[in-house]
Amino acid sequence: MNAVRMRRPVSSLSLGSSLKGKLVRAGFQFVTDLQDLNPEHLSAEAGVSQQEALEALQAASSGHAVAPVTALELLQKEEEFRNIVTFCSPLDEALGGGVPVGKVTEICGAPGVGKTQLCPQLGGDVQVPAVFGGLGGQVLFVDTEGGFQVQRLVDLAGAAVRHCSLLAEDEEQRVAMTTFTVETILSNVFLVRCRDYVELLAELHLLPDFLSDRPRLRLLVIDSVAFPFLHIHDDLSQRTRLLQGLGLRLIAAATDHNIAVVTTNHMTTRLRSSHVQLAPALGDLWGHAPSIRLLLRWEESRRLASIIKSPGHMDATVQYQITCQGFRDADQSEQLQSKRPRTQTDQSTSSRENTRT
Amino acid sequence: MVVLLVGMCPGLDEDLLQSLRAADIRTVEDLVSSDIEDLAQKCSVSYKALFAIRRVLLAQNTAFPVSGADLYEELLSSTAILSTGNPSLDKLLDSGLYTGEITELTGGPGSGKSQVCFGVAVHIAYQLKQSVIYIDTTGGLTASRLLQMLQTETNNTDEQMEALQRIHTFRLFDVGALLDCLYGLSGGGLHKVCVGGGSVKALIVDSVSAVITPLLGGKQNEGMSLMIQVAAALKTMAKDFNVAVLVTNHVTRSSSGEAQPGLGVSWSHVPRTRILLERVERGASGRRSATLIKSSRQACLIKEDFDLQWWSRAEGEKGGETSGKRKLDETDT
Repeated sequence: MNAVRMRRPVSSLSLGSSLKGKLVRAGFQFVTDLQDLNPEHLSAEAGVSQQEALEALQAASSGHAVAPVTALELLQKEEEFRNIVTFCSPLDEALGGGVPVGKVTEICGAPGVGKTQLCPQLGGDVQVPAVFGGLGGQVLFVDTEGGFQVQRLVDLAGAAVRHCSLLAEDEEQRVAMTTFTVETILSNVFLVRCRDYVELLAELHLLPDFLSDRPRLRLLVIDSVAFPFLHIHDDLSQRTRLLQGLGLRLIAAATDHNIAVVTTNHMTTRLRSSHVQLAPALGDLWGHAPSIRLLLRWEESRRLASIIKSPGHMDATVQYQITCQGFRDADQSEQLQSKRPRTQTDQSTSSRENTRT
Repeated sequence: MVVLLVGMCPGLDEDLLQSLRAADIRTVEDLVSSDIEDLAQKCSVSYKALFAIRRVLLAQNTAFPVSGADLYEELLSSTAILSTGNPSLDKLLDSGLYTGEITELTGGPGSGKSQVCFGVAVHIAYQLKQSVIYIDTTGGLTASRLLQMLQTETNNTDEQMEALQRIHTFRLFDVGALLDCLYGLSGGGLHKVCVGGGSVKALIVDSVSAVITPLLGGKQNEGMSLMIQVAAALKTMAKDFNVAVLVTNHVTRSSSGEAQPGLGVSWSHVPRTRILLERVERGASGRRSATLIKSSRQACLIKEDFDLQWWSRAEGEKGGETSGKRKLDETDT
């Protein structure tokens, strides 16, 4: 049996279903039937308008297929963009340098654990100039919960600027510092407030155009993706479909425009064979959308971040600290005041001992 | 339904076509299923001419039976079995992925489907020196991970780069693009890909459910049709081009809480072999268990455990290099 060229059915083309129905009923079942026809002939035969006939003929003409990219070229492209550092070195190491560009990363955790702290921090970190090892990029924040605080962003921006000015050694870096100030950081942050899932979906629909206009944008943060969908109780299957469509759009935006997408998610209880477990909300089907999942939690008095899903790195758990300067390594707890005050003094010494091991 | 066109067979000219159209005969089916005498009178054409045309059309559009012996001969000469690189998986698959068939990997998030796909791609590209086509719809394809896996197989950078060049990737995020890609490949794209050296022996789609599930359910009526078209395109490619097709699928929970493959019953007939991947509850973080849930060659529900870190080593031997995700500093060369 020789390999016969496969005949592509008309119903597999990306056209409206009513148009495809008319074409098939008129007897045009395969794409080869449509070739070498002119629009007038086709519109007469199938009973469709000239416009639709033209659309159908364009879809039928070959040359739509994208050329493949070899894995080597993909590797070179990946190495082009650095990761976004979190300033907590064990976490950065576990993630392979930081939050990666071109992928969707999800941060989940119980309320109050620090998800909304990490988001503005990443918004500042993505703007660190290239000479310091950063990306020098802009950031789009989509706030669905109303939890965005400008003051916190100002604090974190200030910390990032101070950190870099301490590191500035040569002329190039000093020049970069002149444009890296709290004001410029704030001017490179775009904020959108979405009050329900319709607004969120609409915003993401407009995203590709927004991204094409701003080639410097390297980070999209959605805080949180769960909140607008948690209200939908009546039609759960529709919720799942909407979420999946959303997931695909985010992945497409991340890949096509080389941006890092960070979403935050809530936790929900799951009953698994009579024992209760906390799991990320929005279900398993949403769980397939983010490539990387970071789980933030408390364990006694320590803050832990676990990588529970990643395509390139093993699952790992690291300890971190949230200070007034933002996410930092847990070891720095001596000098800086931690965000949640310790109730007993001996607890702080014992946690310091833990981190020294 | 094939439209009647001028020149399809001798005797079918423009005038005849017009008179047939006037009698409401537009397609081959209409012609073949109508009464020839009646039609001859209506169109004022001779009965013999119409009968001859019908015979030619039937001959052109029929499928011919093939004898079992010929089919067997052909299968023996054209089917190849590609090892996945992991001995435990090979055991489940009855020595590997068979060309001409679709094998499915299913599992929840983080269960290791993409990792297994990477391992298979790297093994085929490096060990078997054949080309692989990798279609990614999840955004999880990380070339640096592929390189990591290659680095455990060989230290020679030239060989690593060569192997990476044999893996051809597509990143698509909707079903229309997937169908365009598959038909584009079958229409000549595969030959272009082969020019680099090594014929294409495997086609990996990770994952097929990511682009189809948003279309199923609700008031949408195209989802099932598109799903079956993807299935048809994959099957025809597997058979006609002698490639092994590996797809991944998500899981849904049945009412008793058990994991079952997604995309429903209609899709369950498409892959020949199905494997369910799960995390091992109290194992090391790289351990996964694979269960055979559909197979035409082995008894079902055989389970094998393996470690994602030790892709090419069997259970017993744990010496030497690992394909661990985090780069180890020094390994014995």
